[in-house]
Amino acid sequence: MIKFENVTKIYPGLAKPAVDSLSFTVPSGEICTLVGPSGCGKTTTLKMVNRLIEPTQGAIYVPNGNGDLVNVMEVNPIQLRRKIGYVIQQIGLFPHWTIFENIATVPRLLGWDNDRIRRRAEELLEMMNMSPEYMDRYPHELSGGQRQRIGVARALAVDPPIMLMDEPFGAIDPINRNLLQNEFLRLQKEMKKTVLFVTHDIDEAIKMSDRICIMNVGGRLEQYDTPAAILSNPANEFVENFVGADRALKQLNLIRVEEIMDTAPVLLQLDQPAAEAWALLRERELRSAFVVGPDGRLRGYVVRRELRDKTGTVGDYFTRADMGIEISTTLRDALSEMLAMDYNTVCIVDNHNRVQGMLSIEMIQKKIAESNVNGDDQENGA
Amino acid sequence: MARERHFEPTSAFLPDLINGWVQVLTRPGQNEYLVQHARSNPLTSFLGVSTFGLLVSLYAATDGSPPFYAAQGSTPAVFLITFFLAAAGFYLSNFLLYLVLKISGGSGNYTSQSNLLSLVLVPFGSILLLVFFTGRVFGLEWGDAFNPLSLSGLVGALVFLLAAYALYQVVQCLKIVHQVRAVSAVYALLALAGAGALLRAALMFVNQEDTLITRLWTFFVQQWNSGIMPRAILGHFWLVLFSIVVAVLVGIVFGVLITLPAHRPRAANLVLLIPFVLFFILWAATSGWFGPDAAAQIDSTTRSWERILRNTGGFFGELLVILGAVVRKPAAIGMIGMGWTAIFYLLYLFGDRASALTLYIAGIILTIPSIALFGVLIPPLGVGAFNAAFALILYAQLPILRNTYTGIMEVEPEIVEAGRGMGMTELQLLLRVKLPLAAPVIMTGIRVSCVMLVGIAAIAAYIGAFTLGEYIFTGISRAQEVRYITGALIVAVFALAVDYLLGWVQERVTPLALKERHKKQKDTELFSE
Repeated sequence: MIKFENVTKIYPGLAKPAVDSLSFTVPSGEICTLVGPSGCGKTTTLKMVNRLIEPTQGAIYVPNGNGDLVNVMEVNPIQLRRKIGYVIQQIGLFPHWTIFENIATVPRLLGWDNDRIRRRAEELLEMMNMSPEYMDRYPHELSGGQRQRIGVARALAVDPPIMLMDEPFGAIDPINRNLLQNEFLRLQKEMKKTVLFVTHDIDEAIKMSDRICIMNVGGRLEQYDTPAAILSNPANEFVENFVGADRALKQLNLIRVEEIMDTAPVLLQLDQPAAEAWALLRERELRSAFVVGPDGRLRGYVVRRELRDKTGTVGDYFTRADMGIEISTTLRDALSEMLAMDYNTVCIVDNHNRVQGMLSIEMIQKKIAESNVNGDDQENGA
Repeated sequence: MARERHFEPTSAFLPDLINGWVQVLTRPGQNEYLVQHARSNPLTSFLGVSTFGLLVSLYAATDGSPPFYAAQGSTPAVFLITFFLAAAGFYLSNFLLYLVLKISGGSGNYTSQSNLLSLVLVPFGSILLLVFFTGRVFGLEWGDAFNPLSLSGLVGALVFLLAAYALYQVVQCLKIVHQVRAVSAVYALLALAGAGALLRAALMFVNQEDTLITRLWTFFVQQWNSGIMPRAILGHFWLVLFSIVVAVLVGIVFGVLITLPAHRPRAANLVLLIPFVLFFILWAATSGWFGPDAAAQIDSTTRSWERILRNTGGFFGELLVILGAVVRKPAAIGMIGMGWTAIFYLLYLFGDRASALTLYIAGIILTIPSIALFGVLIPPLGVGAFNAAFALILYAQLPILRNTYTGIMEVEPEIVEAGRGMGMTELQLLLRVKLPLAAPVIMTGIRVSCVMLVGIAAIAAYIGAFTLGEYIFTGISRAQEVRYITGALIVAVFALAVDYLLGWVQERVTPLALKERHKKQKDTELFSE
């Protein structure tokens, strides 16, 4: 848990504050993203947590070893920083140290013995999907994505409860950035760290966060809420503009197909008699249906009129097709795939291609309509 | 295809040879002709060299004083012997060149190398011979060959230009046949010239000739055996070492201080002034405040130590002279100590705000001529090793201070911030991150300072420090050529050795990552392709 209480930072010689009486609380185990245009004080806010910058007024509370909240200004900054993971924009790996030595930075400062550090480093490399042979390489021998992984591993070395990440994926190409974001989210599911994350990219914020803190120039907090709430219900014009005109689409990013799919679609078996299948589809007023094998895996689909007055089984008339969409896909990706392949309906499968449900374009439209009823009505124009 | 038939040496040798000369002279380097010719028959080179031998022999036979062959005899005998000597000399020196190139990693073969070199040698050699010959005919004196106001000076300049162009051609040829970099080709030529010079010098000693080189050696041996030369060398060595060690300690500390943020004066900081007080007491105690006896006492004690240790000390004797000279000036030490601790404390308080001024002052000190600085320091510090050491330390400051400052400032701010954000204290940040990353730059400063000090220490002989400068100054005042050349040569060798040694150290302290980053810049060639 990180708690900001009326935190203000005024740099010496400047009239306007860089951060203006900021108050919000990041619950334990959540990722909170600070996002806003440049000059909005988001990095300043982040650095005040580990006292790289000290607040002019107000207080920031973090849990101490016992879990009680303490004001950071009352803790020795050196001790404080060693207990807070810190990942920065340009990664900041020490170029004269090997990967092992880089990961060992904080453990060594805390006086761990070498065996323990080595075990921990191996563990971390495995977590980052990197082989232990990287241990003795130097940062310049690694790719940008690998270096970023080491940057995260280094911050995790002593398993700090709080992580501060200052645009950690900013300098990486879009493909690798996506990969690293997913990896970090997967790790976060197990680690449950309290993360304060700075970015200027609203898409990254929506994807990564449990909560988003939108800041404006001058260090003012404009809105602090969950991504879904911010997208469906922007607090003011600034937030609305910052989030962008496509926020309806962005909302689809927050929803996984499993949340809205039809979990009990009509399925036909390969060995089902054609006449029986036709009767079923007519009764349900369906023009087509997905066909599964005996193992429950998706095989293709069959159209109703193909089955009319036919003998034999469904297996003789169906069209083989692999149109399954993974159950954890976001609605936005699913929609994009459906539009690209020109399907009205797709089958939702798990990672073994076993059918879990069905999704149609109408269901997505309905979902969007629902969230607009919750939000204001201005969206209709956009 | 047509071209290859044209170069068959048996069918049309002479036109081919002439064509080759023209090509070599007018289109140096990358032309196809040289590459094609490099593959041709060894006969070509033999014929080329024979032509050259013929020219030399003709010259020798008509002039009577051949360049390579000084025997008297009948004209046909001189002619024949000169002819074979010229050819043998070519093949022998060519073979040496070939060996040197092979050792430096060239890939070509001897035949093609001979072939190309003969094509260079014949035209250039002939022209040089012609210039010499006409010079003789017009009775020109070669003594003032480089006086631009005389006719022979003009001819000399012409010879010089021709020789330089010939050298350039040879380098181009070697590059082509051996596929080596231009630098290796130049080094190969230099190595060959060096081997020749050594051979010639060895001959001087074998024949017991009276030349500058033999006289230098005799003088050196005599001085070494008398024990004066080892003392001068050790005096020089210890003076430079003592000064550089102090300068490195002070320079790095000051250089680091001006990269740090300013500190607010606090009562706790006053601990840093304890050395100041100690130096003040030293100064006060020994400069007559508590009676003159203290200073005289220290002086006489150190003098008697020094005498004893000098007699038994040997290698360390000259170090003791320097340390003795330092210890014998307690009042001056107290004063200098107070000054340095005061500067240290001020730099600690002002930190980076004082950086511009500090670097400026250190820069000004470096512009003071050394003789003048030694002179200025005589009233407070007297003559001798102490004065010299103090001046040398002042001179060595700037490069070390400036490089420490820039080295640390050039460490990427992200890296420093990462270290700070992970909970390193400022001292840990300095020792584990900033200094290791700045080490190569700091080392460059130390290297520059050290080489500079070797030179300035020679000048310190002027104010009575016993260094190699002693030989230079007495040599000049007594007009003894061997004396000052010996001194200057040893100083030069000393400076080169120091530079090489510190270069090696610098290579060791450079982090691997930084080496990789600078690799491309290091690979730049002396000559472009």
